[in-house]
Amino acid sequence: MAKVLYIDYERCIGCKACVIGCEECSGHDHLSRMFVDELNPGETVATSPTPCMHCVTPACAESCPVQAIAIADDGTVLSASLEKCIGCKNCTYACPFGIPRVDDVKKMMYKCDMCYDRTSKGRPPMCASVCPTDTIRFVDEEEIKYDPPKPVQFKWDFGGTVIETRTVIGLPDTETHRFGYREGEGVQE
Amino acid sequence: MGHIQNKDYSQRDFDPIVRDGEELISTHCCFCGMQCGMNIRVKIADQTVVGVEPRYDFPMNGGRLCPKGVAAYRQAELGDRLKTPLIRKNGKLEPATWDEAMDLIVSKIQDIQGKYGKDAFGIYSGSSMTNEKCYLMGKFARIGLGTKNIDYNGRYCMSSASVGFNQSIGIDRGSTNPWSDIKFADVLLIAGSNTAECHPLSMPYIWGARDRGAKLIVVDPRQTKTALVADVHLDIRPGTDVAIANGLLHVMIEENLVDQEFIDNHTTGYEELKELVKKYTPSHVSEITGVSVDKIVTAARIFGQAKNGMTMFARGVEQHATGTDSVSNYVNLCLVTGKMGRKGSGVATFTGQGNGQGGREHGQKTDQLPGFRKITDPKAREYIAGVWGVEESEIPGPGLSAFEMLQALGKEIKGLLLVCSNPIVSSPTVKDVGGYLKDLDFFVCMDMFLSESAELADVVLPSTVWVEDNGTMTNVEGRVLRVKGVDRTPGETKRDWKIICELAERLGRGKYFQFNSPEDIFNELRVASKGGIADYYGITYEKLEKMQGVFWPCPTEESEGMPRLFEDLRFNFPDGKARILAFEHKGPNEKTSKEYPVILSTGRVVFHYLSGNQTRRIETLRNFCPDPYVEIHPSLAKKYNISNGETVKVSSPRGSIELVAKITKITREDMVFVPYHWGKELAINHLTNPALEPKSKIPEFKVCAVKLEKTSAVVGENHG
Repeated sequence: MAKVLYIDYERCIGCKACVIGCEECSGHDHLSRMFVDELNPGETVATSPTPCMHCVTPACAESCPVQAIAIADDGTVLSASLEKCIGCKNCTYACPFGIPRVDDVKKMMYKCDMCYDRTSKGRPPMCASVCPTDTIRFVDEEEIKYDPPKPVQFKWDFGGTVIETRTVIGLPDTETHRFGYREGEGVQE
Repeated sequence: MGHIQNKDYSQRDFDPIVRDGEELISTHCCFCGMQCGMNIRVKIADQTVVGVEPRYDFPMNGGRLCPKGVAAYRQAELGDRLKTPLIRKNGKLEPATWDEAMDLIVSKIQDIQGKYGKDAFGIYSGSSMTNEKCYLMGKFARIGLGTKNIDYNGRYCMSSASVGFNQSIGIDRGSTNPWSDIKFADVLLIAGSNTAECHPLSMPYIWGARDRGAKLIVVDPRQTKTALVADVHLDIRPGTDVAIANGLLHVMIEENLVDQEFIDNHTTGYEELKELVKKYTPSHVSEITGVSVDKIVTAARIFGQAKNGMTMFARGVEQHATGTDSVSNYVNLCLVTGKMGRKGSGVATFTGQGNGQGGREHGQKTDQLPGFRKITDPKAREYIAGVWGVEESEIPGPGLSAFEMLQALGKEIKGLLLVCSNPIVSSPTVKDVGGYLKDLDFFVCMDMFLSESAELADVVLPSTVWVEDNGTMTNVEGRVLRVKGVDRTPGETKRDWKIICELAERLGRGKYFQFNSPEDIFNELRVASKGGIADYYGITYEKLEKMQGVFWPCPTEESEGMPRLFEDLRFNFPDGKARILAFEHKGPNEKTSKEYPVILSTGRVVFHYLSGNQTRRIETLRNFCPDPYVEIHPSLAKKYNISNGETVKVSSPRGSIELVAKITKITREDMVFVPYHWGKELAINHLTNPALEPKSKIPEFKVCAVKLEKTSAVVGENHG
């Protein structure tokens, strides 16, 4: 069964182990494809990691003039093909999540391919392997989307255009406040 | 045999990937006390260290790593590694041969000891080294040099926890329970530990408990990433740990949430505690700590009502002038509620240094001999003298503790061997420490990089990095682990234990140091620790490998060690009863004043380790956090008209530093926070208070009084 990245924002500690871990995958040429952002600096230490969201209909691949961005059989949106990519940056403008980066010297786009070198051998991607808090996990797609342990999101509304992603985000539990993230202090029984 | 007892839900069922032309060295991280398992990728052709590969099957971390762990291997190939011995000539450190360096060291040792006595040459060592090296340092000091003056940097780190555990439960193992027990707690009370940043690999265990519905109480003056996800965050004023614990004890006793049966059968001292905490009402404690009454009561009820629970703490509790009191008072929370000796019930301290546990067990602490034996105990001395093959009278008595030793440099101590430590960054009153080191007649330092301290040495000896040696480490749980290395010594580097054995040979003491491998040393350590509290006798390299680590005590060859202590509820005192001790709140040694109205507290960030001598050299980690900063609450910043990113001069009665302001609501309004991983003009330890805890001799790093001034100076220009 297909496996996808699941990201539980609440657990992120902003340590960037995923960012460095990403450099360690054999197919990644020591260039990290991972992002970690501070959510509201000055107010809180909360952070979140962003890998490629692996859209079901990826705008990056659709916008590529030379069809350099392939989609693997399991739905993984791969990094640009070395032979085909012309470094035009169409993909970086098209991606609603701001994922593809372009190496200006090599004129090459690079992005998360879910560590295709590892997943094709049955191992989890590096980010999910090293993440010290289990913020990033490599899990069964059907299960995490339709039987999740907490509220999740994988459909995103960009001004009326709804994009479904294979990467799934676990949302802070604002209903029962079971794990912190509440208004005021005190324990919610 | 087998390692069923060490099975842990953090393990993952994958094999590592081995790439063409490479081999994997299955070892552990060199940084904190978690000692996460990892595979180091090595090119077979030339033995270069090229990367890291997850070690999914290791029980403690299941392949997970923090950024320090991922980047650790990158120090092995750094260009600024020391590759030859250095000798100071005309004021400058110049490359030299091993013979020149060793001849000079030996003649200086003989000079100094001949002139001023054996104790005039001291050793200041470290706890990031293997058990084998730590053991060897203690033995070399006592019967190689014949000096009483050896102590180590764990004095700044684990010593309060050590004293606190010993006086309360009679044994100093960092955790009474294996980490896999954490998941089964119904409540976790974490005090003075930013677990998320300092021990990130503990977080899956904490989340494991949370996923089962466990409550999390965090005691910390800052809303750290750990506190952010707590049910109750007790945001105490720094230095008021004794009071907050007394408040929690007060409420639990008042509301009858204690376990009277456990108290009656397994403890002594409860009545005194009950009497003392009577006056620590929630409102009184609220005044002392600055925490609301509501939160104190809520936390006490959650903790008291839970069936199983653990109290866990770290340097935030321990690095205080009353650090040992605080440790014992947090242990009291578990003792009065009977949370001991079961899955999910116990106490733990988060070990800071890689071998913070093993490093304090086998004799490099000035008051100890191997196996946690007291150096003043005639029986212990007799036994160790037998193991070493010397007369009991040849083993010196206790010497000076780490900071006291630094203060004695140039006075009663004229020569110093510094190993695996960087005290001019990590000690309080940095400027004074620089003066002490300069007052030495002779100063020799062993390191793999030219640390700030090494820069001041007369001779610097190049040692290997961790992944170039074999040995064992003992982690936060008391689990002894096997670390493995690449078989190489780049340039003229030598392994620390080899250097010490050679030095002993040249001093005419070689017959006591006939070791050809770390395993030789370990086998002697096993015998030396036999019958002691930290008994390693039954642990062999083979067993370590087979079981993926063995928890001490492991007294016999048949034993598989003891992951959980006190299952029989017999504590380590003759009567088997734990000691409930009662403490009044005294507060920090240095109080705020009109001139110095703000509290300064210091700590770690996730990207760096201790004095930063390793992590600041690794480019990625340095880029993630290049410089220290001062965290200031917006309302405090407003008082001084300081905006985010502006330069602020922070001064204590001992020194000052200029830092970039980071305005943030995560810190209390009456304090500022500065991370401590930098040296020279960026060392916050210019300001910290050298007041020592009377029992543990730990300096009070966590609280001192400072003033703030906005300045326009460029950071790094006028250093204090």
